[in-house]
Amino acid sequence: MFDEFYSQFKLNFIDENRWFSLLKGLGTTLEITFLALILGLVIGIVIATVRSTYDKNQSSLKKKGGLGYVLMKVLNAICNLYLTVIRGTPVVVQLMIAYFIIFANAKDGTLVAVFAFGLNSGAYVAEIFRSGIMSVDNGQFEAGRSLGFNYPQTMIHIIIPQAFKTVLPTLCNEFIVLIKETSVAGYVGVMDLTKAGDIIRGRTFSAFMPLIAVALIYLLMVIILSSLVKRLERRLRKNER
Amino acid sequence: MKDNNSLIIVEGLKKHYLNGKVKALDGIDAEIKKGEVVVIIGPSGSGKSTFLRSLNLLEEPTDGKILFEGVDITDPKTNINLHRQKMGMVFQHFNLFPHMTVLKNMTIAPQKLRNISESQAKEKAFELLKTVGLEERANDYPSQLSGGQKQRVAIVRALCMEPDVMLFDEPTSALDPEMVGEVLEVMKNLAKEGMTMITVTHEMGFAREVASRVIFIDEGKIIEQGTPSEIFDNPKHPRLKDFLSKVL
Repeated sequence: MFDEFYSQFKLNFIDENRWFSLLKGLGTTLEITFLALILGLVIGIVIATVRSTYDKNQSSLKKKGGLGYVLMKVLNAICNLYLTVIRGTPVVVQLMIAYFIIFANAKDGTLVAVFAFGLNSGAYVAEIFRSGIMSVDNGQFEAGRSLGFNYPQTMIHIIIPQAFKTVLPTLCNEFIVLIKETSVAGYVGVMDLTKAGDIIRGRTFSAFMPLIAVALIYLLMVIILSSLVKRLERRLRKNER
Repeated sequence: MKDNNSLIIVEGLKKHYLNGKVKALDGIDAEIKKGEVVVIIGPSGSGKSTFLRSLNLLEEPTDGKILFEGVDITDPKTNINLHRQKMGMVFQHFNLFPHMTVLKNMTIAPQKLRNISESQAKEKAFELLKTVGLEERANDYPSQLSGGQKQRVAIVRALCMEPDVMLFDEPTSALDPEMVGEVLEVMKNLAKEGMTMITVTHEMGFAREVASRVIFIDEGKIIEQGTPSEIFDNPKHPRLKDFLSKVL
């Protein structure tokens, strides 16, 4: 029984250095996740700022009218469209559209995956961030404005740093979700962790070892990151007291 | 009627909500002269806070004009941010920035808005902190301070911008009773130094002692105004008499 296990283990991981392709796949998974998160963060913050600016100042913008109002209205509409489309379609479909249509000539699937997952994550980060901005007490905003900061300065120096702190744990959870979501990157020929495991399965004709190994690696990463988030949450709470 | 001593002139100021169904301010005319310490009193919901917050356009008036140092700040073409730098404001709930130290709370606006160097801004901040006895708390965060300390920091934060007028919106209303005195003390000293101040407060003792003029507002209108002794010892309007009988 043990011999059987060992020979399977050897076949799936040690022969032809197959463990190394898993390791490389893990690297790719982390690379896509990390870069997509940064892209998503940038997109998310911009969209959240536009949307909350529009929501907060709708009445005064309307009264002043003119170009500013039209511009904000158009920007807000674009953001809403983006959120609706991204959140209303499966990420795999978005990924394939990015790879086979938008970047049909792309050679590096990894970068396309970063783009697709970043764009996707941005929609979710935007909503997380918007809730953070809305949760900052309006008095903070007034204090900033009363000192003479204009609207963008107040946002940058006073509101967004506080919003960021509030949503940090939720953002980390988004990172954890993203790690798992990138497992469909194999659809566009990216050798991520999942794809690497699947390729081993194809070569050795044994599914159990490689797939369970892949699952365990994801699980381990998620458990570690989740416990880090919990610690972060506790520390943030302590700082507030 | 515009003399060189007037700092703020308010003409026909109105603030309506719900398409005019609620009239928070219903036509206010006022003039604030340099060096005046004006205290605004009135029942809750009378519009006194709305009036104060209109002066730096935190509330956008529905109608009327506000001239600050000769400039019509209600004109949409006016860059209100520049004028707000000259109008310090202190809030009921302090509104210190919780993610910054006391020192940073005080230096961020001068540094970003007036291009003052960090060391100069810090020097000024320490100088002001000393006047309120809090120089040792410079590196603490607001959450580590008591209510009275927070409000004293909020006052010196506004002073860091070297404003020409200070607006106080019920600065002691959110404080525990034993902390009211320390904040009023700072305000008294400020008045003594000649700062122009407009204060909305329920502290009648402060009004009587420090104010050069008391304005009584009710239902969005100025009902009566005068020196503290005129208002408190010899009120004329029945609504003012009624109000004073309840609060004194």
